[in-house]
Amino acid sequence: MRSTQYIWLGVTFAFGILWVFIIQNLLFLNVFSALLGQDLNVFLPQVSSPSFTVLWFSCITALFIWIFITWNGKPRNGAEVRRMQPLWWISTILLVLLGWFYQLLFTVLIWQIQVTSPVEGSGVNYYPLPPGGWLLVMVFVVFNVLILFWLPTLLASPRTYRFVVPGAVRLLGGR
Amino acid sequence: MSLFAIGVGGSGAKCLEALCHLHACGLLQSGTGQPLRLGTFLVEPDQQSTLLARAQTAIVRYDKMRALLGNKAESFARGELRNYGTWSPLSTASGAISLDQVFPKAVLRTQASGLAALFDCLFPPEEQSAELDVGFRGRPPIGSAVMSRVSLASEAQTGQWQQMLSDIQAAAGAGEAPTIHLFGSVFGGTGASGVPTLGQMLKSWLGELGLTSVHVNASLLLPYFDFEGQGQEGTGVHAEARNFQLNTDAALQYLRSSGTTCFDHVYLIGSDIKARYGFSIGGRSQSNAAHVVELLAALGLRHSLQPVAEDAYAYVLSRAAPNQISWNDIPDNEAVGQGLSRGARFAVAWLNNFSLELDTAQKLSMGAFLSGAPWARQFFQPSGKATGTQGGRPSIRSTEELNLKSAIDAYSETLLQWLNQFSSNTGEGFNQELFTPSLLQRNPSYENALSRVVRGSARPTKEERQDMAEDIKVRMDKLSPKEIPHNGVAGLADTLWSLSF
Repeated sequence: MRSTQYIWLGVTFAFGILWVFIIQNLLFLNVFSALLGQDLNVFLPQVSSPSFTVLWFSCITALFIWIFITWNGKPRNGAEVRRMQPLWWISTILLVLLGWFYQLLFTVLIWQIQVTSPVEGSGVNYYPLPPGGWLLVMVFVVFNVLILFWLPTLLASPRTYRFVVPGAVRLLGGR
Repeated sequence: MSLFAIGVGGSGAKCLEALCHLHACGLLQSGTGQPLRLGTFLVEPDQQSTLLARAQTAIVRYDKMRALLGNKAESFARGELRNYGTWSPLSTASGAISLDQVFPKAVLRTQASGLAALFDCLFPPEEQSAELDVGFRGRPPIGSAVMSRVSLASEAQTGQWQQMLSDIQAAAGAGEAPTIHLFGSVFGGTGASGVPTLGQMLKSWLGELGLTSVHVNASLLLPYFDFEGQGQEGTGVHAEARNFQLNTDAALQYLRSSGTTCFDHVYLIGSDIKARYGFSIGGRSQSNAAHVVELLAALGLRHSLQPVAEDAYAYVLSRAAPNQISWNDIPDNEAVGQGLSRGARFAVAWLNNFSLELDTAQKLSMGAFLSGAPWARQFFQPSGKATGTQGGRPSIRSTEELNLKSAIDAYSETLLQWLNQFSSNTGEGFNQELFTPSLLQRNPSYENALSRVVRGSARPTKEERQDMAEDIKVRMDKLSPKEIPHNGVAGLADTLWSLSF
């Protein structure tokens, strides 16, 4: 791996933490609060943070598995390198689906299983997220996967896998 | 400085084949490390000889590759080569292909009856009438008689010798000290008769012209192979393995008494353990595989480039183990081992990996190709446009680039074939610890592991897992533009050559 790739991996990793745990919450609180229901003091600590933290763990795990596989790969030719592209897409789609599932889990399912209500006095065993809020968190899941998986794999895929991530040839292919 | 190599007969041609590959591997250099100019000239009455064709193929393919490369390489194929072609001593005899046509007996009887009687005394009827278009049939006296009719003074005016002799004169006139090196066996027919005869003629010719700075050396091959079968009744006069020792003894006696009139230095190389070749009278059926002895003979020319003691005349070689040859037995093994190792690893990596990658690139968009081959953007334009250049980088599909690729493919295949032959053709009970023959072949499997191509001390000291074609690709990708002075296929081959060892 090139020294610049180590730096990019570190930078994107740090930015991912900053994004998930600080910037995203600030955006929810200050920009998108109207879309996220009446009880942001419940949504942020009990719904949004845990679901995006689990997504962060999933993305970081997938990222390190990707780096491990590509770091240890000894592809004979370009065709073997390109065979990693479907794996990357499957990982990405899986992460997005998992992210959406985590939203459903922490917004609805976990409360249903525990038979409790996240908002006292609401009378429902789930967090009442408006349809606009659902759309917003689903878009944010995609955005999180881009920041936490696509960006570091784009900038830090090692050796001959350097350009295998979608967009790498276009963005990094010049000399 | 210029070198002029003359291969006489089948074994001589095989030595020139080896010499061509040594030159390609950068092993013929001046004291300052500059590659030398090598001129090659083949002397062979058997124009259908497979051995001759193989030497010509190596020379022509290297020459073509160099012509297409031009100046677009810093370290790959730097050695200049001039091919002076092939000459048959029978070509001066007005179409005569037998001894009694070269020396018509009817004419001899009328003009010098004594000579005719001597002719009959020296050559039995079957030798007089044997057709020599398959060579001198393992009989040095036949060859000597034919060769002695050659006049270098007249050949220098016309004919195929003209260009080489005038280049020798020009090189000596320019203050160089050119070397003429003859190669041939002393146990067969053509080489045994041709090498000393031509050596003596060249020395006399140089003496007449006062060109004392020109050295005339020779690598003389002593017996190193046997025939598996023998000629049938109808084969006529033919080379017989039982005569090899007799011919050798005669040649060595001649060298001891008159050697200095033919050569300044000689390199005598043979093998007590013989390779086995199928019997052939000559022509296309004589396809003896390359042998390590021919490599050693070619290295004689390399040895003569170093300062040698003036009073030394004959050089011989020995090996450390009775049944094995390793890099330690090769003269100047560190440099020679590195050069041959680089050549072998380059040829394997090029032919079985990089060239196949370039073939794949013709079927994909450049973007798709680059996604699996980031190293390629260092040499070819990333847009993949069919014409024009971008940042000096040509299109991966340009006809010029593909022609050069084909030329490098062709030469690499020849080099691999030679390496494979000499490393697998060792003789019974005799091993070599130089190369792994099974890996020295063209195959479409995208060879990745390079660590086992070379054996022994010439193998690069890298871990097996770090010694792969993919590691070279990664290193290519990391190079800065300043480290890649040339683009396109030439730049790719040049960089691969540098990174191969």
